[in-house]
Amino acid sequence: MNTDIKQSSLSQASAELEFAYKVRRTLDEHVNSLPESTTNRLAAARKMAIARKKPESALHVLAGQRRLAGAGAVGHARNPFNDSLSWLVRVGIAIPLIVLVVGAFGIYQYEEARRIDELAELDAAVLSDELPLSAFLDHGFDAFLSKHGE
Amino acid sequence: MATDKELSDFLEGVERRAFKQAAYAVRNEESALDIVQDAMIKLAEKYGDKPVEEIPLLFQRILQNTILDFFRREKVRSTWVTLFSNIITRKDGNDDFDILENFESEEGTEASESSADKVEREQMLALLDAEIQKLPARQREAFLMRYWEDMDVAETANAMGCSEGSVKTHCSRATHALAKSLKALGIQL
Repeated sequence: MNTDIKQSSLSQASAELEFAYKVRRTLDEHVNSLPESTTNRLAAARKMAIARKKPESALHVLAGQRRLAGAGAVGHARNPFNDSLSWLVRVGIAIPLIVLVVGAFGIYQYEEARRIDELAELDAAVLSDELPLSAFLDHGFDAFLSKHGE
Repeated sequence: MATDKELSDFLEGVERRAFKQAAYAVRNEESALDIVQDAMIKLAEKYGDKPVEEIPLLFQRILQNTILDFFRREKVRSTWVTLFSNIITRKDGNDDFDILENFESEEGTEASESSADKVEREQMLALLDAEIQKLPARQREAFLMRYWEDMDVAETANAMGCSEGSVKTHCSRATHALAKSLKALGIQL
C-alpha cells in the first residue's frame, strides 16, 4: 500500500518535471527568436553595465585614490599601474600606522621625562630648603627625627 | 572576483531570459527592457567584485527586487495621476488580461510568414507566453527560477525570500495550472 503511494507520487513528480522541461525547451526556443531591436537593447544594456562595473573593494579604491589621486582609471584590470597599486596601497596603510605608533611612544617618553624632572626639582627644593624655626620647637618633629634617624 | 569577461558572458547568457521574466511580470516590453538594464547595472556596480559563482543568485535577487520596485513606482504614479484604480487592477489582476488581444498583436508581426507550421508554432508560443503570464506572480517566479534558470530549491527560496517548502508548492501548483490550461487549449508541447 505504502509502496504504491510512494510510486504514484514519484511518477507524478517525474511527470511534473518532464512537463516543466518541455515548457523550458519551448521557452528557450521562444527566447532565441526575440526581435533584433530587443536583443540590441539588451546588448547595449549589458555593455553599459560592464562599463560601470565595480572595480575593486571600497577600501582599495579609497586608499588608491588617496595615494594616486589623478592617476586615472584606478584599479582597472588592464591598468599598467595595477601591479604597483597594491604595493602602494599597502605602503599607504603601513606608513601612517608606523608614524602613529612611533608618535605615541615619543609622546609617552617625553611625558615621563617631564614628570621625573618635575619630581626631581621638587625634591631638590625640599632638600635645599632650610627648616623653619618652629620645626625645631615641635616635640613631635624631634620624636620623628630621632625615630627615623635610628 | 568576476572579471569583465566573466560578467559579460554571464549577462549575455541570462539577459534574454531575464527580459522574458520581467516581461511576464510587467506585461510591457519597454518597461521589461528598462528593468533588465537597471538590474544589470546594479549587479555590475554593487556586486561586480563578487566571485563569479555568486553572481547568478545575486542577479536573480536584484531582478526580482527591480520588478517589485517597478510595481511600487507604478502604484505611486497611478495613485497620483488618477483617483481611480483601473490601471492598477489591469496591471495586477489576471482576469482582465485578454489573451486574444496579446495573441492578435503577435499575429500582426507574422503577416509575412509563409510556412503554416511556423505560424502554428509561433501561435503556440504566444499562447504559452500568455498562460505563463496568467500564473500568479509567486508561482511564476518559482517555476521560472527552478526550471528555466536551473536554480535549486534552496537558491530559489533564497532569491524569493521564502521557505523551501513554499518553493516546492509554488512550482507544483504552477506546473499543474500550466498543464491544465495548455490541455484545455489543445496545446501539445
